[in-house]
This record gives sequence, structure tokens and C-alpha cells, in this order.
Amino acid sequence: MINKLGIIYRAFGSAKLAIFLFFALALTSIMGTVVPQGLSPEKCRSLYSSGLYSFLDFFDIFDMFHSWWFTVLLGLLAVNLIVCTVTQFRRIYSVYLVPGRGIDDDTVFQSSQFKKSYRSDKGLSEIEGQSKRLLKSLIGRPVSVRRGGSSYLFAEKGKYSRLGVVFVHLSVLFILAGSLIAAIWGFDGRMTIVEGETSNRVFLSGEGHAVMLDFDIRCNDFTVDFYEKGVPKEYLSDLSILEKGKEVLSAPVRVNHPLRYRGLKFYQTTYGVAQKSYFLVKVRNKRTGEETLMKMGMMEKVPLPGAEAQLAIGEFRPDYQGRGPAVLGVLFEEGKPHRMFWIRKEGMFEKSKEDGNFTFNLEDFKRYYYTGLRVTKNPGMPLVWDGFLLVLIGFILNLFFAHERIWVRISDLKEGCEISVAAGSSKRREVLEKKLHKFSRKLGLE
Amino acid sequence: MNDTYIVSIVTFIYFFAAFFYLISLVFRKRFADGAASALLFSGISVHTIAIIVRWVRSYQLGIGHAPLSNFYESLVFFSWAIIFVYLIIMRRYKSGLIGIVASFFAFIILAYASLSGQVADHIQPLVPALQSNWLISHVVSSFLAYACFAISFGASIFYLISPRVSVLADRKLWDEITYKMVSMGFVLLTLGIITGAAWADRAWGRYWGWDPKETWSLITWLIYGAFLHARLVAGWKGVKMSIISILGFLAVIFTYLGVNYILSGLHSYL
Repeated sequence: MINKLGIIYRAFGSAKLAIFLFFALALTSIMGTVVPQGLSPEKCRSLYSSGLYSFLDFFDIFDMFHSWWFTVLLGLLAVNLIVCTVTQFRRIYSVYLVPGRGIDDDTVFQSSQFKKSYRSDKGLSEIEGQSKRLLKSLIGRPVSVRRGGSSYLFAEKGKYSRLGVVFVHLSVLFILAGSLIAAIWGFDGRMTIVEGETSNRVFLSGEGHAVMLDFDIRCNDFTVDFYEKGVPKEYLSDLSILEKGKEVLSAPVRVNHPLRYRGLKFYQTTYGVAQKSYFLVKVRNKRTGEETLMKMGMMEKVPLPGAEAQLAIGEFRPDYQGRGPAVLGVLFEEGKPHRMFWIRKEGMFEKSKEDGNFTFNLEDFKRYYYTGLRVTKNPGMPLVWDGFLLVLIGFILNLFFAHERIWVRISDLKEGCEISVAAGSSKRREVLEKKLHKFSRKLGLE
Repeated sequence: MNDTYIVSIVTFIYFFAAFFYLISLVFRKRFADGAASALLFSGISVHTIAIIVRWVRSYQLGIGHAPLSNFYESLVFFSWAIIFVYLIIMRRYKSGLIGIVASFFAFIILAYASLSGQVADHIQPLVPALQSNWLISHVVSSFLAYACFAISFGASIFYLISPRVSVLADRKLWDEITYKMVSMGFVLLTLGIITGAAWADRAWGRYWGWDPKETWSLITWLIYGAFLHARLVAGWKGVKMSIISILGFLAVIFTYLGVNYILSGLHSYL
């Protein structure tokens, strides 16, 4: 029974399983980038033939990164990592970290990366004292032990760099654990608030239902800035947090600068012109000379007086090309393709030179923006950050530190003594080689 | 002087470097090797100046930002990174052969950026999502990683064709360079993904969202992760390793270009 468990344990900790999982995750992930993820079922159905749709749907390909089988793969990776990390740590601990290990181990003088043997006519204690001082300056304070007629010295440095690889593996486990916690206890939603209004309703992504926060958020103001060419420069929501109707906090929220409050984070994600805005557009029919003032909302077609035509407003710019506020008008005329043009106070301008039947002026407007915020709660985030930190520590240990070890055995002979030196380094052997040369030169052995 | 003009000069410097490396390879002339290295050193100096000039120019235009924010700028930095990484490892391996790969890649990339006319080379203002301190660390680590992978790709190709090409006979060297460049690239790619995740958390409200760019960077990471485990733990050797390294580089290319040209996602500015 124990034996069988051992086999299973080893199978879960094998490098083959790790390599298989790497390739399996990579291959399946490709599918998740080719097939669009997280769309509505109707949208997915329209993209594929019904046979292909049912096949893809059966395997949850439309949301494959959250499917049961992808989760199983990640779970297997976690098990593989746990077993590997434990095995690895135990091996590193017993080979490199157990205090006092192998000081008087004679085999190292045959098996090490570097091994040399010298004779000296100086006495054992003189060589021993000199060696200790040298080792201390080259690597670190040596430990020593006497056995039989020999004195054993051992010095090392950077032994904890061996743990770099453990940290790297542990970090992936931290990140997986963090994402598991987020999936269970976190949430991710969106809320929209019109300027001047207050809300506590957050619509959860994917699930379609809303949760109510036990505090309110008021959007005092929203502004959007553009560069000269109409590229957005900054979105800024001025938000206030209200606890039981009392304002406790007021802060600006911009892209890349979220607001944190009571374990939640609020991100600026989108904005738009709210329904309650209106625009007063003066329409002049060029043929009849008739002028009408129309009160229009966003995105609604309004029939123009005395003609088979309709106008809609598609977009609002607070400052269009540095020439003041403008709205994008869309004109639908019977039997003609629709036309688009910007309407300002002074009139309209458009790229097409075609002479239309109407002129428009933006006489007045009352514009309210709404701000779109992403609201997230992620209790797994600290673990993920720790994972990132661990991976960095692991790489730094691995790249910039070497574990260097030097063993020295000084055996008493009738005339003088025999000195055996062995050494090993986890990397940059040439550095250790130089140190060894210095060691034997200073002892007068070379 | 305009930085795009300087870049087009650098393009030719890298071309001649590649040419001299080729001469040194075919005719075994040592002077050609030296000339090529000298060209690369002067090339990267001028290249660096071009990047700085562009940086300064963006401030003069009042939209100051590091020149790492659109396709053109990423190509210019990518080729810079390839030469940079090559010049670092050149001292160690003392082989101009891998220099052919580096200077040829750098030349092709710059030629595409500055001569094709397909790539918009004017300085663009930063949209709000890109206005972040993470921009520099994320882009620099990602492209240094790509550069390491480009060189490991070249070394793997050399490994595969070395039995047929006598000058490339030193298979151990190609194997060693492939491994070293993959390990370095893996560390840098990890850094690129971490800085990207930290940035995505600030800008988009999540550190990971299975966006195609993110997913493809993970696919690349997994392939090179498999490479390192196959070599260090499972003891795989030879042709198999070269093939994994080549697959990894194809994934790099797809992460860099394919995602933006074929798939769609949040990461539309490259």
C-alpha cells in the first residue's frame, strides 16, 4: 500500500507530468485565443455553424479558461508543483542546508568539481591556523573538526541561493492560490453613475444580477480631455463616498489611478452622455426658409419639419478641434444614404461638399455625462503580489548568488603534513577557481 | 536631426555588419569579424542617440513619453535590444557567427520599420491607459526577453543545420547559447508578464483577464518553461531541444505580431 502511494506520489511529482501540463495548457490556451471568449450565447451562435457551435459549447470553449477541464489542468499543475516543491526542498535541505553536514566527509576529496592535494613541511597546526584565516577572508568563517590524525575545515557561502528554484516554484502556487481565492470570495462588477447622482448598484460581470453596496457613491463631476487630434487624453471622475448619506471621502478617479475603499477598488473604465441630456438644435430648411428649434436627446431620430428626413445625435464633444462644443449629427433623408457632420453654434461643417437641404446650429445644450466604473473585490490579491515578489527573489538568488564550498583536510605526516582541498560552486566556477589558486599560493603550496 | 532619419542610417549600418559577418563566415577572414563588431558598436551608439532624440522630441511636442508606445517605436527598440543582448554575450562566446543572426534580425526589423512605409512613424500622444510608470519596465523587460529568444532561435537553427554546414560544426556552442539565451529570456519574460500584470491591475482592474496578448505571453512562457524543465530535470538533449526553442520563438512572434494583426483585444497598441 505504502509502495503504491509512493508510485502515485512520484508520478505526480515527475518532470514528465510537468512538461506534459506545460504543453497541454499552451495548446488549449491557443484555442481560447482563436475562439472569442465570454461572448453571449446568441453572439457565439451567429459566429459558427450549428454543428460546430454545439461541439464548442459542449466543451465550454466559449468560456474555456473557466471550464471544468481547464480548472482540472490547473489543479493538476498545482498538485505537481506541490509534490515537486516538497521533494526539491527536502533534497536541498538534506544535501546543502543541514548544519554541520559533511565536514569530515572524505569522499568529497575524490568526487568534487575541484580537488587537489599538496604536501608541506610545515606543521599541522601552523597550516590549520593559516588555512582558517585564508578561508575566512576568501569565503567565510570555516567550521573545523578533528578526527584521527587529521583536521577538517569547511567553509561555505551563499548556501541559501540553492533555495531560489524553490521560491520560483512556490510563487506559481501562490498565484494559483490567489486566483482561487478571488474566484470564490471576490467579485467583479460594473456601475454607472450620472453626474450629480448617487448609486450603490453594482452589476456583476457575466451573471447579470446586481449587488447593492452598503454605502453610496456620488459622481460630482466627470470631465474628458482630448489631445488636439481628438485622441482622448484623460477621463476623470470626481467621486464622493457617502456612508448613511454623509460624505466621508472625496477623490478623483482616473485611468491608472483607481480609488480604494473598504476592500473594494473603483476603476475608471468608460463614460458616455446620459439620457437626461438634451441639445437644442436650430433647423433651417433652405428651400422654404422655415426655421425650427428642436430639443433632442442622444441617439434618437427626430423627424425634421416639412421634409421626409430625420436627424439623430451620435456623439458630443466638449471642444471639437479647438472650436467649441459640437455634436455629431446623422441625417437620414428619404432615398439617400445617411450623412454625418459636426454641428456647432456657428453652424455645421462636414467633409463632403454636397449641398444639403438643411442647415443646423447648436443653439444650446444641457449635457450630463455618466461615468462607467469597474468595481472589484479581490481578497486573493495579496497572495498574488507575494507570488510576484517570490519569483523575483527566486530569480535574484538564482542569477546573482552562487553557493561556494571549500573543504580542506590537513593530515599529519611524519615530516610536515598533507593538505587535500576540494571545492564546488553552483555557478561561475572560474570565480571559485581563482579563489582556490589564491588559497594554495598564500599557503605556499603552488 | 529627425530620429526617423537616424534610424534609417542605422538600418544600413546593421546591414553592413551582417554583410561583414557573412564574409568572415564564408572566407574565414578575421578582419571582417572585427569590422562587423565595430560596425555594431557604432550602430548601437547611433541607435541609442536616435531613441533619445525621439524621446526629447516628444517633450518638445508637449506629449512627452518614453518612445516605447506604438508599433514603430517597439520595432526600433526590439532591434536595439537584439544588438544589445548580442554585444553582451559576444565577449563570452567569441563567435561572430551568432552575430549574423543578431545583425540580420536587427536589420530586417529596422528596414521594415523605417523603409516599408506601412508603419506609422510619427510620435503619437498617449491614451489614458498607457499613461503609467509601468510602461517603461514592462516594455523594456518584454523586448529584452524577445531579443534573447531571437538569438536562441538563431542558435537552434545553427544547431539543426550544423551537420550539413562545416563552419557551424561546433554543436556544443549552439546548444550552450540556446540554453543560456532561453534562461535569460525566460527570466525577462517573467518580469515582463509580472510588470504587465501589475499594470493591468491598475489600468483595467484585473491583473489577468485571458486577453489574447496575455494568453499568448503565457503560451510563450509555458513553452520555454517546458524547455527548461526538459533540459534541467528530464535530461532531454539535442534536436528535441532545438525544436522546442524554435516553437517558443514562433510563439514570441505570434505574441508580438499575430495577436495584433489576426486576433483582437485590449492590447491594440502593441
